[in-house]
Order: sequence, then structure tokens, then C-alpha cells
Amino acid sequence: MSWKVPLTELTVPEEDVEAVMDCLRSGWLTMGPRTAAFEDAFADWLGTPFAVSVSSGTAGLHLALAALGIGPGDEVIVPGFTFVATAAAVRYVGGDPVLCDVTSAHEPLIDPDAVAALITERTKAVIAVHFLGYDAPILALRELCDAHGLALVEDVAQALGATVDPAGTKAGTVGDLGVFSFFAKAQLSVGEGGMVSTPREELADRVRLLRSHAMTSGTWDRHLGHAATYDVVDVGYNFRLDEARAAFALSRMSRLDADIEARREHARHYRRALRELDVAVPFDDEAVERASHFAFVVLTSDRSERDRLRAVLADDGVQTTWYPAVTQLSFYRGLQKVPKSEDVAARHFALPISASLGAGDRAFVVDSLRAALVATGRA
Amino acid sequence: MTTTLPQIPLFDLRFDPEDLEAVAETLRSGWLSMGPRTAEFEQEFAAHLGCRHVLAVSSCTAALHLAYLAAGVGPGDEVIVPSYTFVATSAAARYCGARPVFADIVGQHDLSIDPDDVAAKLSERTKAVVAVHFAGYPAPVDRLERLCAEAGVALIEDAAHAPSASLGGRRLGTYGLAGAFSLFSNKVLSVGEGGMVATDDGEVAERVRLLRSHSMTSGTWDRHTKRTDTYDVAGLGYNYRLDEPRAALALARLPRLEREIELRRELTRRYRRALRDVPGIEVPYTDEAVETSTCYVMAVLVPAQARDAVREALLTEHAIQTSLFYPPTHLFSAYRDPATDLPETELASSREITIPLYPHMTEEEQDRVVQALKLEVPQ
Repeated sequence: MSWKVPLTELTVPEEDVEAVMDCLRSGWLTMGPRTAAFEDAFADWLGTPFAVSVSSGTAGLHLALAALGIGPGDEVIVPGFTFVATAAAVRYVGGDPVLCDVTSAHEPLIDPDAVAALITERTKAVIAVHFLGYDAPILALRELCDAHGLALVEDVAQALGATVDPAGTKAGTVGDLGVFSFFAKAQLSVGEGGMVSTPREELADRVRLLRSHAMTSGTWDRHLGHAATYDVVDVGYNFRLDEARAAFALSRMSRLDADIEARREHARHYRRALRELDVAVPFDDEAVERASHFAFVVLTSDRSERDRLRAVLADDGVQTTWYPAVTQLSFYRGLQKVPKSEDVAARHFALPISASLGAGDRAFVVDSLRAALVATGRA
Repeated sequence: MTTTLPQIPLFDLRFDPEDLEAVAETLRSGWLSMGPRTAEFEQEFAAHLGCRHVLAVSSCTAALHLAYLAAGVGPGDEVIVPSYTFVATSAAARYCGARPVFADIVGQHDLSIDPDDVAAKLSERTKAVVAVHFAGYPAPVDRLERLCAEAGVALIEDAAHAPSASLGGRRLGTYGLAGAFSLFSNKVLSVGEGGMVATDDGEVAERVRLLRSHSMTSGTWDRHTKRTDTYDVAGLGYNYRLDEPRAALALARLPRLEREIELRRELTRRYRRALRDVPGIEVPYTDEAVETSTCYVMAVLVPAQARDAVREALLTEHAIQTSLFYPPTHLFSAYRDPATDLPETELASSREITIPLYPHMTEEEQDRVVQALKLEVPQ
């Protein structure tokens, strides 16, 4: 039933467990001092003025678009190769997602030239997705958005800790808002959770307001006697993180850079090994050094080779996955054509990678892939 | 503060060592997103309620949203809700594009929605009626069930306060098409943030199951356990998932729920005896109603013109924290409508003070609250 090498593994050291236990013993579970401490630490680490924790990356995207005032009739350009939440978030606020193709199978990220061609009078924003942990061409998109008066949102759900230039500027700090995920498979995982970052105070205030029912004061404020009652000034949500998850995330942050470097080291190893096997991998070596390696993706010649290789790996107990293009999901069929997104979706798959992946398991994956190539007649 | 007395909080959450151990064990397992613990909690809670399906979600707000969607609530529809409730009851209607229509409460002795006013407010656009079981005391869902059946509209129960209360031997949350429950930190069964949808209707359960995780036809756990390989997205879904640590915490606490509620009941009986004949104080509901309530909070009514001064004096002179359940929704900026006239709701909400109540509250603490009220409430 279980995999010999699962796609992701998570090791939770005792210091993280103790941080959560400490929070539970305190008896205070609603957004309070631990959430504030986590938000501060995250903003410092990211190098941006404001960070507001939320219940998930999806909730973060929703609130980012709501904070920008995007609504019915507005268009938001999103890549065709991303997790469904990017497009769904546009729908949540009543807007229309406009799908944009990726640059190529080798660089399966939002293509600024394609974005430029899709801008209309109704376009209000672009969501750049740093997919698989690799940085989208965010500096080019920033220029493009500035030239057209568009907002730029960075979907960093898969790319926490990726950088976008040689100076080490972190993904999520270039756009008007950056959205992060702490889902179980992410670089900083707590189960479910997310963060919205922004350099603009008014956007941070708006996200903070909307994440807790647009109430003018919170439970913690009232607990401290700071506020007797409250008004509700908009349609808000319950997108709060709780203290236990904030405590957990804060504890995990101390190892975040090392965890990302461990992922990067796995990626370098895989790339060297696959080069010898003559297996194509997307992205160039410089991009690998900037990326934070949510997933390690392999390219095949076509869908049937992908499926055959995956089947052999699965027989060996190696879990792999692949990401559909947005247009392959029935709810989003009939939107803009994104042939390059569909092409890469059809002929890629992802090998196990996580900070806890052991060198032995990694070698097993490579051996298994080598055998799969032989078994399918490729080598 | 002009007093040095130890503060009596509004609520005070305490965990047992087995609660902590359950969370620690889950964290050490390394599997954090919805999986076996969530499934077990759902089964246990369904057994507790005596209903067919329970789906764990990220909050009661999310539960209400999904319950309304499952009932077919959409743009242009009306949902009849009490105003005397937390704003989420109404906000969830707005999420669906529907309009909340406010009904008044029964009276000062019973703060739940008035079926006669519901009947008067039914229109061709009404899609659902929402009953809130205030503080765990049953709204007249027996009458509302018949009324809704005759009108052909769905009854939804906002059972945020009532995870183990009953009416006529039947658990609250099982009368309507769906019941929405809360695991928020100040609740009777609390984990921080979380909620549940309960239903006997298989189609509603299936719809909620899809909608809580992006309308994806399979989940991460399914793929981990090799049940499925990929997924489709056939509609607009959300990330309303609970995660495993919170499910484990709820599961650990569930066996103690009845005992903790009995402690709340005993304290409520004692409050009622002590406050029964105090001039200027009215205590809603009856002694009999206490026996099947969860006694989530203790609401007392004082003369409206004295209410704010009494709260201020309780806090500053007696170190007693209080709250307001609830500022009425129809008076919030985001929901104000000059045509809405709810005299009983406005009267009760102008008189209400929520006084401290938690299972381990001592008689000494309770006596301090009673004495303070006797001293501060004008006769």
C-alpha cells in the first residue's frame, strides 16, 4: 500500500513538536502573539515590510485580488500551467481568468510576451506563478505591468525561498502582493496555511481586515480589553491561521534555508544523473541555483512514454506525479488556448523530492528510472 | 485597571495531556494534510450526532458557505437568517451571491429565530432558512422543519454553539438539510480554527466533499495511498480543508465533550439560581432548556441604558471579562438596511452581557461574577 519512496517526506523534529505543545498548554489558540511573531519573522526573512498570515495559499490569492479591488468584469491574466487555485481565485472575486501560455517546455513559466498580447482594457492584474519552485520572469513582468498600469501578484505557493536576481531578491517581493503556501508538501509546511506579503501598507491592512470577517477588532484585542465591541465594514472571511500552526511554522523557519538547500542539492544530483541517462529536464543550471525546488520535473518525448515510465517507477515503489494544464480541467475548458502549457503537462512528471529525502532513496529513484528507460526501450 | 484581583476571563481553554499527545504523535507521523485522522474524526462525530455524514472543514464559516452552496443557494436568491448571530451566518449568503433577509428573534426569553417572522419573510426568492442555536439552546427547528418543507426551501442549522445539544431527543444539527459546526478556540469543542458539515443527505455530503478541496476528484491522501493517480476539477471549489493535527486534537477531545458540557450545565444552573431574583437582571431561556443545551455561553440581560457602564465596571473594578453575543448583523455597516425592523433583536442586543463560563470555572470565581453583577446592575 505504501510507497518505498513517496513524493514528499516530512520529518518533524522534537523542537517543532515542543513549540506546538507549548502553544497548546498556553490555552490561547486564536490569532495572537505567536501569529504576530511568525508574521514578523516571515517579513524579516523575506525582506518585505508586511506579512499577513492566512488559512491557505488559496485564501491568500483570494484576499490579494480582493485587496486590489478586482471584481466582476475585470480580467486577470494567469498562466495555463499552474495549480487550479490561481484561476479559481479570480473567480472568487467575480473576475475572469485569462489564460496565458508558458514560454516553452524547457521553461514552463508564464511568458511575458504572451502576457503582453493578452492585455485588454478590462485587464486589471497579472498573477505570475513561480511554478515548481522556479522563479517566473518577474522583473520583466513588473516592467510590463507598470507600463500598462496593472497590478502584479506573485503566486509563490510552490516557490518559498526562490530568488529572482543575482542580488538574492526573494520571489514574492517584486509584485504588489506575494502569496505563499504552508501546505503539507511545501518548503515550509504546517499542514494548511498561507501568507500574503506586500510592500504596501494599505494592501496589508485590507488583507488583515478581510481575513477575519472585516471586523474592526479581533478576539485577542477584546481579550486584552482594547476593544469593547466591533463593526463589520465589508463582506469578510474566516481565513485566519491559528496560534498552533503559527508556532509550528515559526519553529520550522529556523531550518528553512537549510531545508531549501537540501532540496537544491537533490535537484543538482538528479540533474547530473539524468544527464548521463540522456533524460531531458527543464530549466538551466542558473535557474536551479535560484529555485527552491518544490518539485523535480523530468520531460519525456510524449504522454505515452511518460505514462510508461511512471508505471515502471510505481511498480518499484517510487511515487511520481504530474500537473495538469488548467485547460485540461473541465471547469476551465474553453478558455484561451495554451498549447505549450498542454504540451508540457502531457509529457512531464515529477520525481520524489523533499528536504528529508535520503541519499539512498534518491539513488534508488535514479536506478529505478534507469531500469524504466531500459524496460521501455529508451536506453 | 483599578483592581489587583486576578482576572476572570470570558473563556479559558485547557487541554489534557492526552490531547497534547495526540497532536504530538500526529506531527511526528509527518503526515499533516487531510488523511486517516480526519476521516476517523468525521466518523466519530457522525456517530456522536447520529447522522450519516460529517465532513471536516477549515471553519464554521466555511461549513455554512458549503452548506448553502449544497442547498443550491446562488446569485439572486434570498436566505432568511437571524440578525442575532455572528456575522458569518449572513456573510456566507453573500459569498454565494445571495441576499440575507433578517428575521427577528422570538423574544427576550428566547434569542432564537422566530418561525412566525420567518413565515412572514418567505418569498419566491427564498432558497434557505438558517436557524442558529444560540448558546446551544435549540431554535425551534421542529417547527422550522415543517415550515421549510411546506415552502419547499432548505433548512440549514448553524450549530456552531451546539455540537452536543438536542431537541426532542434528536441532536441539533440533524434537523436541517445540513448542520454547520465550529471548532473555534472559544467553542465547546475547540481546536483553534475548524468546523464540520453534518448531513444525512448523500448528495449534499458528496458536494461538500468536492467543494472543500477545489472540486478535485481526488486528494493528496488518495494519491499517496494509490487510490487514484490524477484528478479533474469540474466546478469552482475552495481550500476549506482541515488538517491532521487539528483533526487529531478534535478526536482526542471528543470523548470528554459530554463531561465538559455537564460541567458547563452545572455552572449554568448555579448562575441561574444566583441571578434568578436579582432586580434589573433577566436570564433568557428556562431551567429545563439548560438540560439539553451545550451551555456554550452565559447571556444575561440588563437595562439597555446601563449595559456599557456595567461592562466597564466589571472589567475595571472587578477584573471580570465580558463580551457581547451579539451586536446584531443588520446594524453593521456592511449589512445596514433602513427597511429592516427587528425590535426584539435590537432590544436584546442592547441589553445583553455575556459573562464568564468555562468548564473548570470555580465557585469562587462564579460568586465574584454574581456579586459584581448585583453591585453594578442598577435595580
